[in-house]
Amino acid sequence: MPVDLSNPAFVQKLIAEERHRTRPPGRWILLPIILVTIAYLIPFYYLFVTVFKTTPEYAQKGVLELPSSLAPFIDNVVQAWTIAHLDQAGFSSFTYALCSGALAVAIAAAAAFGMTRLNLIGANGWFMVIFTGTLFPFQMYLVPLLFGYQRLGIINTWLGMLLLYTAVCIPFPLLVLRNSFSGISREIDEAARIEGASEWRVFISMILPNARGPLIALFLLQFTFIWNDLLFSSILANGIGVRSVMVALQSLQGTYSTLGPNVVITATLISSVPTVLLFIILRKYFMAGLQLGTK
Amino acid sequence: MATTASLLLSPDILKDARRRERRVAWRQTRTAWLFIAPAVVMVGVFLLLPVLVNVILSFTKWQKFTGLDKFAGFSNYQRLFAVPYFSEALYNTAFWVVGAIVLPLAVALTLALLLRNIAFQETFKSLYFLPKVLAPTAVGAVWYYVYAPHGVINSIVAGVTGHPFDFGWIYDDNTVTPSVIVTFVWQTVGITMVLLLLGLAAIPKDPIEAARVDGASSGQIFRHIVWPLLLPTVLVVTILNVAAGFTTFDLLWVMASDYPGKRTLSLAVYMYYESFSNGGWAYGSAIAVVLGIMVIAVSAALAWLQSRVEKSIR
Repeated sequence: MPVDLSNPAFVQKLIAEERHRTRPPGRWILLPIILVTIAYLIPFYYLFVTVFKTTPEYAQKGVLELPSSLAPFIDNVVQAWTIAHLDQAGFSSFTYALCSGALAVAIAAAAAFGMTRLNLIGANGWFMVIFTGTLFPFQMYLVPLLFGYQRLGIINTWLGMLLLYTAVCIPFPLLVLRNSFSGISREIDEAARIEGASEWRVFISMILPNARGPLIALFLLQFTFIWNDLLFSSILANGIGVRSVMVALQSLQGTYSTLGPNVVITATLISSVPTVLLFIILRKYFMAGLQLGTK
Repeated sequence: MATTASLLLSPDILKDARRRERRVAWRQTRTAWLFIAPAVVMVGVFLLLPVLVNVILSFTKWQKFTGLDKFAGFSNYQRLFAVPYFSEALYNTAFWVVGAIVLPLAVALTLALLLRNIAFQETFKSLYFLPKVLAPTAVGAVWYYVYAPHGVINSIVAGVTGHPFDFGWIYDDNTVTPSVIVTFVWQTVGITMVLLLLGLAAIPKDPIEAARVDGASSGQIFRHIVWPLLLPTVLVVTILNVAAGFTTFDLLWVMASDYPGKRTLSLAVYMYYESFSNGGWAYGSAIAVVLGIMVIAVSAALAWLQSRVEKSIR
C-alpha cells in the first residue's frame, strides 16, 4: 500500500498495527510464568516451614506441611548458634568481608588510577600481570598457600585470611575500574594539577567521587564473595576462632551430623541474612555490578 | 622574527625541553609505581607465586606428615592416568561443563523471552536472582534435604502418584551429578536471565518490525534476527558459566557429602579430596595443574570465538 496519509483506510491500518505492536502480551502468558515461579520458589518455602519445626515434628510430618507453632524457631536459632559457634564465625567472616573487600577495592582503584591517569610507562604490561591473576582456577592456589602459610606461621590466623582475600579480590575490580576511570573526562584532573593538586589529591577528590556507583557495586560483589567462601577458609583457617561462617555451617551438615534438619536449615538461614539484607537494600547496585562483569 | 624562531628551535633548547619532558614523564611513572605497587605485590605474592609453586610441588612427593624431601619426576602425573578415579572425575567434569553451558542458557533464555514484556518484571527478576546472593554452601545444605529420601522431591512425587517414594537422588551413581547440576541451574539461572534480558533490550526494534510486516513468523524472527544479535551476550554468559562448570566445588562437596564415590564427582572435588582428606598434597597439586591447563585452554578458545563473533558483527 502506498504511503498516503490522506487515505483514511491506510491511517486506520497504521493505527491498528501500532496497537498490535504495543499491546501488552495476553494474560495467558502470565499463567506459565506464575507456575514456573512457584515451582522455583519451593526450596524457599521448604526453608521457611522447616525453621519453625522441632526435630520430632520434622520427622513425623510431611516436609512441606505447615508447622504447628512458630515457637520452635527460637530454640532452633539457639541450638544452631551455640553448636556451630556462629557468633565467632560470623564475626570472623564479617571482618574478612568488610576489611578485605574494602581494601581490595581501594588497592584496585589506586592501581587503576596509576594505569589510566598517570603516564605510566608499560601500563598495559602491568595490567596484564594483574589480569593473569584471574586466569587460574582457585584449585591451583590451595596447596601452595597451605605450604607457604605453614612456613610463615600464618595458618589459622586472621592476618593470613585477610591478606589472601584481599589479593583474590583485586583483579576483577581493577578490570572494571580501569574502564570506568578511562571514561572520566581528563580535563578535571588536568585542571586540578594546574591548580597545584598532588596526584594523591586528584585521586581522592576528583576520580573516586566520580566512580562512586562502580565502587559500591564492586565492594558489594567482593563482600558477598568473601562472606560466601568455603574453599579457602576450610583449608587455611578452620579453627573455631578464625573459621568462616560457611565452614561453621558445613560442620553442622552431612553424615556425622546428629542434628535435625530443622537446626541445619536454621543455621543456613542465619548465615544468609547479611548478604540477603545487603541485596534487598542495595539491589540497584547489585544489578549494576552484574553488568560491570560483562563489559 | 627570524631570530626568535631560530632561538626557539635551537638544538640546545630543544634538547633541554625534551629532557624536561622526559623527566616529567619519569616522575609521573615513579608516582604511578606507588599507585600500582600494592596491587602488583599482593597479586604477585598471593596469586601468581602460588601458581608457580604449585607447578613445582606437583613434581615432588610432599605429603601430610612427611617433609618436602625429594623430587619425584612425573610420578604424580603417571599416577593420575593409572587410577580409575581420575578418568571418572574427568568424565564428570566434562558432563558438568556441558551442563553448565547448555542448561542455564536454555532455561534462562526461555524465561527471558517470557518475561520480556511483562508487568512486575523487576519483581520476577529479583526473585530469580536471589539464590545467586546465597552461598553455594547454604544452597547445598538446603538442597541436600530437598533430595533426601524423605525430602521435598520425593514427597511431591509421592503426593502426585499416591505411592510412597524414597529414592536417594544423591546416593545413586546415575542421578548424583544431574541432581547437583539442577541445583546449579536453580542458582545461576537468575543471573543468566538478567544478562540475557539486557542483551535482548539492546536489540533494535526496527528490523524485527520490518520482518513482521513482511510476514515472518516468530520462530523465523528469533532464528534470523534475535539470536545472531544476542550471540555476543550468549558468549559472555557461556564464558562465565564454563569456568563455574570446571571449578564448582562447594555445591558438590556439601550436597554429596554422603555419596561414597564423592572423589570422582569432578576434578575440583578430586583435587580437594586427595589433597586435604587424604593428605596427598603433591598429588593434589598435580591434579590442580591438569585442571588449570584445561580451564585456560577452554577460556582461550572461547575468547578467540568471542573476538571472531564481535568482528563479524561490526
